[in-house]
Amino acid sequence: MSARERILGRLRAVVSGARIDGREARVAERIARAPKAAVPHQAASAGTARMTLFMTKVEAAAGTVGRVSAMAELPKALAHELRRRNLPAVARVGAEPAFAGLDWGSIELSRGVGRIEEPVTLSRAEFGLAETGTLALASGPDNPVTLTFLGETHFVVLREADLCGGFEDFWAAWRARGLDPRTINLVTGPSRSADIGQVLQLGAHGPVALHVFIVADPGDIVVPPT
Amino acid sequence: MTMHVPTTPEFKANAHAALGNANLQAALRGSRGNFVAKRAKARAALPEFDDLRDRARDLKNAVLADLDLYLEAYERQVTASGGHVHWAETAEDAQRIVLEICRAAGAATVNKGKTMIGEECAINDALAAAGITPVETDLGEYIVQLRGEIPSHIIAPAVHVTVPEVEAEFRKAHTHLPPERDLSDLAELLREARGVLRAKYFEAEVGITGANMLIAETGHSVIVTNEGNGDLSQSLPRVHIVMASLEKIVPTLEDAATILRVLARSATGQEMSVYTTFSRGPRRAGDPDGPEEYHVVLLDNGRSGMLGSDFQDMLRCIRCGACMNHCPVYQAVGGHAYGWVYPGPMGAVLTPALIGVEAGGQLPNASTFCGRCEAVCPMRIPLPAMMRSWREREFAKHLTPGAVRYGLGIWAYVASRPALYRIATKVAVAALRLLGRGTIRALPFGGGWTGERDFPSPQGGTFMAQWKARR
Repeated sequence: MSARERILGRLRAVVSGARIDGREARVAERIARAPKAAVPHQAASAGTARMTLFMTKVEAAAGTVGRVSAMAELPKALAHELRRRNLPAVARVGAEPAFAGLDWGSIELSRGVGRIEEPVTLSRAEFGLAETGTLALASGPDNPVTLTFLGETHFVVLREADLCGGFEDFWAAWRARGLDPRTINLVTGPSRSADIGQVLQLGAHGPVALHVFIVADPGDIVVPPT
Repeated sequence: MTMHVPTTPEFKANAHAALGNANLQAALRGSRGNFVAKRAKARAALPEFDDLRDRARDLKNAVLADLDLYLEAYERQVTASGGHVHWAETAEDAQRIVLEICRAAGAATVNKGKTMIGEECAINDALAAAGITPVETDLGEYIVQLRGEIPSHIIAPAVHVTVPEVEAEFRKAHTHLPPERDLSDLAELLREARGVLRAKYFEAEVGITGANMLIAETGHSVIVTNEGNGDLSQSLPRVHIVMASLEKIVPTLEDAATILRVLARSATGQEMSVYTTFSRGPRRAGDPDGPEEYHVVLLDNGRSGMLGSDFQDMLRCIRCGACMNHCPVYQAVGGHAYGWVYPGPMGAVLTPALIGVEAGGQLPNASTFCGRCEAVCPMRIPLPAMMRSWREREFAKHLTPGAVRYGLGIWAYVASRPALYRIATKVAVAALRLLGRGTIRALPFGGGWTGERDFPSPQGGTFMAQWKARR
């Protein structure tokens, strides 16, 4: 008998009073139904309140956030942030289609995975969670997972339409998008540690700084009359 | 590397030494109350917190009722995603499995994210004995590893180490850096550790992490960290090993969210930890990074024996550390006095279950039964009740010291005879009054108490006498 069978056998011996058929149906139903817990009020926001909550929570987690009127404006916004932070005009990105075809101007873009020294990385998050100011990134060629952890400063693009209230609508939206990355990375602020002297410091192993660009939906842009 | 043998049977001596250790007491003083205040603030900011605790308790109870089936469902998902599940009955089995995977990967260096199951299996010792270098990458674990110690807290492993001790350890270990460098501030120390460990991430062939949860619906393992080291440890090496125990299962992604909503708030007072990572299988076709192999080692090590016992509720524990942060005993003696991997109230219940009441039976005695651990537990685990169960077992097995058994025997004899009890308490009150007014500075046979503090002298007769007078 294998270790697996012995362990499962011991577990079964404890619950042997119950019929196996009934239990199998119960477990399958419980998993399929995926009941929601008591939804915190802060996960149930909408509209402007949701956006405000998200921005507040990102900042509460020591991140920063800015709004961009359209994806085409992203290079300009990034260049501005790089200058403001005295960072070199470079960025490491994956194969993210949303970044293709943009005019990056003076920013020297390089493509690939994270390297040992990576001053600036840029990713796109699949979703945001206003509840806690959390970004949900999917690993893969478009946004290599190492960019999220090796960048000294990590810039993350979030489409406004991808902002969820909390975990409940996030998981529903996640399933609907049909993604199966190796990792789902939920990121809330830059990396930190309090292991030296119990004093919280930013930039433990991952990014020292995290900045979110919230990009407005094309439909939202009102073109001023000429 | 030293082998870490549990010193749990020497708890009394350990605690005594800890109380006299000025450095340790300074470190404990520095951190005391921090976690408590942060948790209280986070709890106050979420009106639904106690509802969520009920939900978290209920969902875990549902899992434990059908644990075998949830584990099988989880295993199917891991296998479907190209991962491998290895079942380990004991810590030795887990060591053997991990070593086999490491050898097959040709590993010379293994990076470790934080894993308490790894600690439970003494995996560092096993790797070192096999000629493989384990590198702890969590900053606290790294400091503890440099000092040749084990963690003293499940989420703040180096909480017992003072800043000058960290500096001394870095100077000793990082000999490739100029000896005259300035390490006088915390930021310099962090930068140095970051630099040293950043290089190590790229050297390891295997990365080992723990798991805060395993999701039956999807086959995900979940890690919750603040530093990002667990993610670098699993994303850069060619092989990722997850070390997890059986009871880490939750049914669905929604259930994981419920646990996450109480976990960080209870642990550090954060609404969310910085990095919550759901991992499933090896890198996908076309992925430029991530491990090529994904293994999960599922550890039993006594847990299947807890199911259906007085200690089943302990299997709900999510390792947030709130119980030890709020425990007057832990806060006085620190984690190392407990002698093994799990300190504080959760350790006092779990340790005897895992290493036996013979070795761990002293820990449940190290409690004032103030009940704060249960009051703050996000999973509503009845820790004091379970400590009492262990005391009963210890007594039944005749492991309780003679003086205690004798004393309890006398007390039981007197307490079950009301007339005798009344006379005895009257005499005791009169005798204590003779020893001092207001406070008693020295008590015959009570030096253990009066050596450190005064004993209050009885005021206004026995309870029974006062009760009679008021009727």
